[in-house]
Amino acid sequence: MPDLSYLPQIALSGIAVGCIYGLIGIGFCVIYNASGIVNFAQGAFVMMGGMIAYSVLNTLGLPLPIAAAVTIVAVAAAGVAIERVVVRPLWDRKATMFVMILATLAAQIVIERLALIVAGDQPKTLPQFTDLPPIRLGVVVISYQFLWIVGVSLLLIVLLGQFFKRTKAGKAMRACAFNREAASLQGINVSRMLALSFALSAALGAVAGVLITPTQYTAFNVGVPFAISGFIAAIVGGFGRPLGAFMGGIMLGLTQSMAIVAFGAGLKNVAALSVLLIFLFIRPGGILGEAK
Amino acid sequence: MTNLPAITSRDPLRRGFVALPWAVACGMLTYAFIAGGYFVTVMSFAMIYAVFVIGLNIFMGTAGQVSFGHNAFAALSGYTSAVLTATYYWEPIAAFAAGLALALLVALVVGWPTLRLKGHYLAMATLAIGLIVYEIATQWQSVTQGYMGISGISPLAFWGYEIVSERGKLFALVLIVLLASLAAARLRASRFGRALAAIAGSEDAARALGIDVAHYKLAAFLVSAAYAALAGSLFVHVVEFVSPEVFGLHMVVLAFTMLYVGGIGTLGGPILGAVIVSLLPEMFRGFKDYQDLFYGAGLIILLIYAPKGLAALSDLLPRKGRA
Repeated sequence: MPDLSYLPQIALSGIAVGCIYGLIGIGFCVIYNASGIVNFAQGAFVMMGGMIAYSVLNTLGLPLPIAAAVTIVAVAAAGVAIERVVVRPLWDRKATMFVMILATLAAQIVIERLALIVAGDQPKTLPQFTDLPPIRLGVVVISYQFLWIVGVSLLLIVLLGQFFKRTKAGKAMRACAFNREAASLQGINVSRMLALSFALSAALGAVAGVLITPTQYTAFNVGVPFAISGFIAAIVGGFGRPLGAFMGGIMLGLTQSMAIVAFGAGLKNVAALSVLLIFLFIRPGGILGEAK
Repeated sequence: MTNLPAITSRDPLRRGFVALPWAVACGMLTYAFIAGGYFVTVMSFAMIYAVFVIGLNIFMGTAGQVSFGHNAFAALSGYTSAVLTATYYWEPIAAFAAGLALALLVALVVGWPTLRLKGHYLAMATLAIGLIVYEIATQWQSVTQGYMGISGISPLAFWGYEIVSERGKLFALVLIVLLASLAAARLRASRFGRALAAIAGSEDAARALGIDVAHYKLAAFLVSAAYAALAGSLFVHVVEFVSPEVFGLHMVVLAFTMLYVGGIGTLGGPILGAVIVSLLPEMFRGFKDYQDLFYGAGLIILLIYAPKGLAALSDLLPRKGRA
């Protein structure tokens, strides 16, 4: 039996990684709401976030904030590229949902292999954003990276909320989620919304990748596990609900960190996948029920 | 066979177009028997994958369902065969029977709740099943020896008669593929197969016709899982080694590429796809790292521009005579 005084510490690390899962889950929701497409290449954005930030930082020698900004823009561009090259042609041909899933999964593997060829198979990591000793509060130790992860995630959620509520593009995307046909009749360019949703979703993935990499590592093959965790977060929160996805992410992060303590780190993916199956079998609509 | 209507067409050009991929496939197999060596191994892999894809085609092509997780059943049976023959010295046939039973049991237990799901839920649930089995194969080191893999698996043997030569293995595999294909063709033409095709067309309509949709879907899932299990066991006996990578996500993508190259829903498609796709990496020798890249990119291009695969090659020609 592990020492229970570790519990708050474990919960903190669960919350941090849960925020990351939440951001990825929101990425799933953004594309799904705009188009009804489930993008299985979502994990590639997270992987690219970490990898591109690493190479910009180390080969170009740019400071971290600029490297992060460059990375986010680059990954958003990659998201639009996937939309143009893979999703758009299938969308125009009215491909079935299964074909779309298969194609995005194939895109994920293509990106993964490209990353392997370009960057090699060695794991890479980024420095901590704030290089100060962690804060001690009684038995709990809080690292600055934890504050960065939670802070940036919450900020993004507020910004996204404002984007969907106040801006024209955000409102148009919500209209697409409601009814694409009616939206297009209102003069909303639905196909532009598709591209925008991929850019936004890719940027969210990139932020998640840049935030999490200092606490662990990144490599060409981290994408699929992250995508699955993000998908689980989206399912648990009720597919298509961004806020639900974020809550689902934190729940998954907590469950996973507890599972690591109870069963060892090797089975953390099995634990997450089992949570997914249980939810799919018992309550596929998630805790809040599916959007719409 | 009645599955290739175009082959009976009087138009010689069209006939040639349809026969071309088959000529290539048969030519490659014959060449493998004559030339021997490494090429026999390549074709043996193709035949093992053909078994897997024939099964997948029943579930996806005929019944119109989705599974990203059939590698799980190949892994379950493959590992059972490996452990029972390498550690406990079982007969390969007996070990395969045990592996098949295990795979079917798991398919039954997981299939029941899974097949009630639709769309991306079904896709993700099956993907999760495949990944869980893969993760367990890497982590359960006392049985699977993790990434190290299990070696010393006994070679392919039928009732005490061991097949040692590479050509002999390929011959046995070709026979198995023909039998598996024949069984799939019989199944497709039977009442069962017609019911599955009805479900693929419209579940509601099938239900209205008195078809028990849930039962038939589960049955199709079990049949395709059995094919996957056979492929998994064949693999470990032919290679005499197994590691988790064999049954990873790579297997799923490769199988889908084969299914789409050959033509999903057609009878000969799986064999054709397996042979043609297995030849590709041989053309790009020295580009080993690029293999999955080409498969992935090729699959995307196929899905967009030729979703019916080689089986529909003749559609590219303008139709003469009949409108």
